Amino acid sequence: MMIQPDSGGADASAASLEVDGVVVDFQGLRAIEDVSLTLRPGEILGLIGPNGAGKTTLINVLTGFQAVTQGSVRLGGVDIAGWKPHERSRRGLVRTFQSVLPFAGLTALENVEAGGVAIGLVRGEARAEAVRILSEMGLAHAANRKAGTLPFGEERRVGIARAIAMRPRFLLMDEPAAGLNDAECRDLQTIVRGICVSLSCGVLFIEHRMSMVFELCHRIQVLQLGRTLALGPTDAIRADPKVRKAYLGEDEVSPC
Amino acid sequence: MVENSLFRPLQTALVLILALIAVALCASIAPPALQRTVIEALIKLTVVVGLFIFVGQSGVFSFGHVAFMAIGGYMSAILTLAPARKATLLDLPGAIEALQLPWPLALVAVIVAVGVLATVVGWPFCRLRGIALPMATFALLIITYVVASNWQQVTGGRQALVGLPRYVGLWTAFGGAALAILVAAGYAMTRHALMLRCSRESEVAAAATGIDVERERLIAFVLSAMVVAAGGVLFSHFIGTITASTFYLDLTFVTLTMLVVGGMRSLTGACAGVALVSLVSELLRSVERGVAIGDVTIAAPPGLQEIVLAALLLAILVLRPAGLLGDAEIGWPSFRRAAPATATRQQG
Repeated sequence: MMIQPDSGGADASAASLEVDGVVVDFQGLRAIEDVSLTLRPGEILGLIGPNGAGKTTLINVLTGFQAVTQGSVRLGGVDIAGWKPHERSRRGLVRTFQSVLPFAGLTALENVEAGGVAIGLVRGEARAEAVRILSEMGLAHAANRKAGTLPFGEERRVGIARAIAMRPRFLLMDEPAAGLNDAECRDLQTIVRGICVSLSCGVLFIEHRMSMVFELCHRIQVLQLGRTLALGPTDAIRADPKVRKAYLGEDEVSPC
Repeated sequence: MVENSLFRPLQTALVLILALIAVALCASIAPPALQRTVIEALIKLTVVVGLFIFVGQSGVFSFGHVAFMAIGGYMSAILTLAPARKATLLDLPGAIEALQLPWPLALVAVIVAVGVLATVVGWPFCRLRGIALPMATFALLIITYVVASNWQQVTGGRQALVGLPRYVGLWTAFGGAALAILVAAGYAMTRHALMLRCSRESEVAAAATGIDVERERLIAFVLSAMVVAAGGVLFSHFIGTITASTFYLDLTFVTLTMLVVGGMRSLTGACAGVALVSLVSELLRSVERGVAIGDVTIAAPPGLQEIVLAALLLAILVLRPAGLLGDAEIGWPSFRRAAPATATRQQG
């Protein structure tokens, strides 16, 4: 039996990001079979599942890079099917990329400034904001260096800083810890918690590093072959035998 | 330091304009032939800087901007030619035939009209992806050429339109180039230019960062078309005649070479490219005319100029694909505060 979260009242739904019965076909191949998901402001929802489970496809659906075959995506109760990617991100539905995709030829400062400018700030404001965000993230020293020349860990933080500059209501993070060392992972956790609290932003956290997901997320949704296998509070998911079998691996039989 | 760097493009523009003043002053005391070469280079600078506004910030090539030179040139010719001459050369509606504007007014009218035209043309263009957009601009060039060389009533067809008021001298050409540089620098400081540069780096990340890539491209396209059209007007009124074949493949090749050689991501590069290519062309032209050594005159075969320019372009593409200057810009030399390496030259 799937563990259901409380479905939330009308208020919760009005402020949430909701995916309802989404189906995605790629030329006859069904990437997402039927997935529903709710992300509330201020919560960190882990989205896990083996490769090919449809996690990245779901992010592409949410950010408008992938059209749905069926189903709907609602932001604060409004169906956003017709919104283009830039309209979605401008209205607070922001993502980071697994491969960061920095604006490599521009400075770290300009990368972050671009986020502010895109939501309508004038350059001076956006720049002041970018300076503040960069120094909060310990990147002040990198501000005038080109993003493409930064060490990987710093480049990743620039990607996150760029997203923060857009003042996201919902932040979708696609494997933000991939390639980071342990110390950098700890920094990342602090950053994500900070975003969640200070911007009261809902974070959808896609990650393979289970220890991080378990430590960080309030709730976890498990995808498998384009369907939701399980959904619930982190502790319940961690204990769910079905999840352990399907995803965490049967060899990990001893309880943590 | 941070506030300062927002105005860096303006600093660059001022340094470049000072350099242009120096060039113009030297040219003013040079022999007429050399002076003409400098004037032509200054007009091409206007065009290349116009091209840079779009190509440099968007990273999207345009093969069609010379079409806006042609359109600007023909419009200005029609607006400034004497009615009697228009009556013999062309077959225009009465009101337009009778109209003869002073050249500054005609120049402004042309720039505005080209702005409107570029918006109409650019709107569908800027929705195109990948190689489709450069190809569309190339189609624009071909269409403009074919129309200009066949629309007997309006352009005179293959015949040259002659007798344009020749108001463009050294200082007019300088003014055009300086204004173009100021417009490019002014644009580079806007949020729109920043957003367009983001899309140049990654279209997907730009869209994910809330940037409407199509709109930003269109803004730059229109502005750039207007500056290039002004260059076309100056060019026509410098030569005093206008023919469709002037504004075709040769000029497209030369202007793009100038931009690529200097470094298409840099305003300084655009200017350096114009200077270098003009210099090389002029040297080769004189070699083609023949160099007298004692009694013997050695003349290179005609066409040497094109071949050497193509070789230069090829060498740059192979050895320095980002152009001579890459994306570096010239600025004030910083005498005070020698320390902050991060604050002054961020470009590599």
